[in-house]
Amino acid sequence: MANTTDNLRVIYGDGVLGVHGPHVYYGFSYDRGGLESLAIDGKEWLYRVARPAFWRATTDNDRGNHFSERSAMWLGADLFSPCVAINVQVDGVDLGLPLAPENNRFSNHEMASSVIVTFTYQTTTVPSTTVAIAYTVRADGTLAIHEHFGGQSELPELPVFGLRLTMPTVASSFDYTGLSGETYPDRMAGGTTGTYHVDGLPVTPYLVPQEMGMHMDTKQLTVTRRQTLNNADPDAAPFSLAIVGTPTFAFSCLPYTPFELENATHIEELPIPRRTVLSLFGAVRGVGGIDSWGADVAAPYHIDATMDHECDFVIRPE
Amino acid sequence: MEPQLSWLDDPQVFRVGTLPAHSDHFFYINEQEMKAETSSLTQSLDGEWDFKFAPNPQARPQHFFQPEDDRRNFTTITVPGHIELHNDAQIQYINTLYPWEGKEYRRAAYTLGQNVEAGMFSQAPDNSMGAYVTHFDLPQQWAHQRIAVQFDGVQTAMYVWLNGHFIGYAEDSFSRSEFDLTPYVKSRDNLLAVAVFKLSTASFLEDQDMFRFSGIFRSVQLVSRPKIHLEDLTLKPTLSDDFETGLLTVKAALSGERQVGQHIELRLLDATGATIATQQQAVKTTDATVTFDRLTLPQVHRWDHHDPYLYQLVLTIIDVTGHVVEAVPASVGFRRIEIKDNVILLNGQRLILNGVNRHEWSADHGRVISMADMQADLKTFAQAHINAVRTCHYPDQIPWYYLCDQAGIYMMAENNLETHGTWQKLGAVEPSVNVPGSLPQWRAAVLDRAVNNYETFKNHPAILFWSLGNESYAGEDIAAMNAYYKSVDPSRLTHYEGVIRNPAYEEQISDVESRMYAAPTEIRQYLMESPTKPFLDCEYMHDMGNSLGGLGDYMALFDEFPSYAGGFIWDFIDQALWVNDEVTGQPVLRYGGDFDDRHSDYEFSGDGVMFADRTPKPALQEVAYYYGKYDR
Repeated sequence: MANTTDNLRVIYGDGVLGVHGPHVYYGFSYDRGGLESLAIDGKEWLYRVARPAFWRATTDNDRGNHFSERSAMWLGADLFSPCVAINVQVDGVDLGLPLAPENNRFSNHEMASSVIVTFTYQTTTVPSTTVAIAYTVRADGTLAIHEHFGGQSELPELPVFGLRLTMPTVASSFDYTGLSGETYPDRMAGGTTGTYHVDGLPVTPYLVPQEMGMHMDTKQLTVTRRQTLNNADPDAAPFSLAIVGTPTFAFSCLPYTPFELENATHIEELPIPRRTVLSLFGAVRGVGGIDSWGADVAAPYHIDATMDHECDFVIRPE
Repeated sequence: MEPQLSWLDDPQVFRVGTLPAHSDHFFYINEQEMKAETSSLTQSLDGEWDFKFAPNPQARPQHFFQPEDDRRNFTTITVPGHIELHNDAQIQYINTLYPWEGKEYRRAAYTLGQNVEAGMFSQAPDNSMGAYVTHFDLPQQWAHQRIAVQFDGVQTAMYVWLNGHFIGYAEDSFSRSEFDLTPYVKSRDNLLAVAVFKLSTASFLEDQDMFRFSGIFRSVQLVSRPKIHLEDLTLKPTLSDDFETGLLTVKAALSGERQVGQHIELRLLDATGATIATQQQAVKTTDATVTFDRLTLPQVHRWDHHDPYLYQLVLTIIDVTGHVVEAVPASVGFRRIEIKDNVILLNGQRLILNGVNRHEWSADHGRVISMADMQADLKTFAQAHINAVRTCHYPDQIPWYYLCDQAGIYMMAENNLETHGTWQKLGAVEPSVNVPGSLPQWRAAVLDRAVNNYETFKNHPAILFWSLGNESYAGEDIAAMNAYYKSVDPSRLTHYEGVIRNPAYEEQISDVESRMYAAPTEIRQYLMESPTKPFLDCEYMHDMGNSLGGLGDYMALFDEFPSYAGGFIWDFIDQALWVNDEVTGQPVLRYGGDFDDRHSDYEFSGDGVMFADRTPKPALQEVAYYYGKYDR
């Protein structure tokens, strides 16, 4: 069936594929290898390109179990895996990577009803595998994200699998529909389903900063900020970004990357919060709890990296 | 007797001149005082004491206990409090190894066939001490009474003097030590002096996973015994076989001047205050013990977690002129704990333990905790459906037992004993220098701890289990502790986990199969293979940092095995201390190793379902869910 509304204006740039939709702009960077701009009503939501997430900060149980030693290569993979391929599809037509002179045939008035940009990352693991993030901009301006992890024999278990969005400034609050409190796959029975408002970006005060703030089984999440880095934007009114699951996802919304958490031995060593680190997960390893000096997380709560994994999220500009 | 510093080196000297342990009942001069709960027979000595720290025994002030000694170089310290938190001695956290690891070489006396090693503690460079002094006057009405001083907790070894006279010596840091002051006490300007040493042979017995503190860390009070005094009370409440009838035996041991014509009146009241039984027994000059006829209460109101119903017992001693000279209250809870067909039963119903291990902890004051802290903990217990507590790994402050009676919290009352570093090194079981083991020279010391625990707390209905201690391996000495409890109190169960390390003793030690950190699959395996004892987890779900995943796998065992009795999560509250950050000046929580303390086990001090400041960890909602689901 033919699309009746070509709402999306596509900019076939030399370094960025730009997509203007209703109230929204998406910038897919060829040189940075990922989604580098997500602006709703002119407010930018990305500080750096979105990237696959493989690492979570080591928990005390991970340390005792030597999990982080066995899976250490995922820390490097999270930080360093390069983008090795980019593919653009517009209205179902595969354009490959439309660099000059290929893009010389376009104009400033290219319209479309669907744009799919896929970034393929090669993990810095040994052996290596690939992770593809496909961003589909729909005619209504929503962004559907599909991420695929290619299983590879001999790879160690994954701490997490998902997508990390780093936002330019600290969120003022977030609201979500899901489970109360901090939940993990093996610790979510006590979570009560509901809609929750969280002020600021609370850091759970574990004695040694570690993985924290996970929310399993989330249907919808709205992150609200009041500040941008745009010097010409004096507006302090709150603005929001909404993510919905298909049907559910897990997330954490923290002022720190896993590496900042990993590096600190005390809360007071963490830097002054400056960003919002929103991690969206399709798979989360359990935290375990039998003991803290060797016991493994129960089998159903591991993430087997020899198998394929998928995750899906939809970003809906309000 | 002259005090000897060498007692610190000798495991066979652990108390000198102390009064025998006795029940922790309150006593008043009359019923008006009793109702007001203010006794004119006790006087607190808590507050600011004069204090001098010495880094080792040789540097101690030698004559500070003499009234005429020059103590102008003394500072002050708050009692109760830890010397380390007064910033005289270094704060250290360590788990299983001894605090002197890598600094001093020590093997416990008699373990390698050698005798007492002279000077191991009495001449040790790492054995810091505190010299404590306070002055007190006696209330006028205490003239000519018997006066004693009670220390509710002093770590680790203490010598006591009054007005320059040596009074006694005590170890067992977490039990009350009481000394008779009568021979030397004056009406005014008494000088009470205490020398507290951080280390002694008792240190081998107190290797608990905790910050290693010293000092007078629990309350101190004077007590005055009336001319005739109810010295010790033994209550044995239980239920008939159909659990409908309450049965109560009451025994009172008297001290002081017994005379013909004195008698004791007993009144048993229900929770509304209505008298439901009375009895009178004459005091005999020939026998210090007064035994009452057994009381029988048809249709008794039972005590349990959901309905911790307490009857009130009042005993009044009446003198020959017919006047009350002492009034003693006690709470009585009728319940019956037993094992039938390998199932632990309370009042005939299967017992489900949704418990936690609980160190006494305050991020501000270490193991000096307040009534408000205890009440806050019980509020958390109620919110999270926690119904049981193990006093790990020492007796707690006395008020905690009363609060648990009232709140219906099942208690595993543990002795002050852990000798982890004598038998397990770097994870491997290696008991070549284990104490107490089967060494006769250590038996009296550990039995004394069992006696202190039993005698002090025996009347608390909340206590269902006597726990012989923690992680101390097993041998004849711990078997003797088990036999002691069975001889004095067959109405309760005994518990000890360490016997699984030495199964030769499994028939002599512990009524229950207790393990720590067994995986659900291992527990299932034990319960499926013709178990000989019911099973409980004295420690499980090590809630260090972000943890407590998989609790549901344990809870599922309740549905599968009637012999599974549940357990106690390790543990209730993180051990961490508020300090001002050396960079920002802001208050921050610090853990092991943060005080340059080496060797340390660092963040292993933080395993609570509560953060150290008594705010809940996120995992508490999981505890509340499952403990609520099995809250039967």
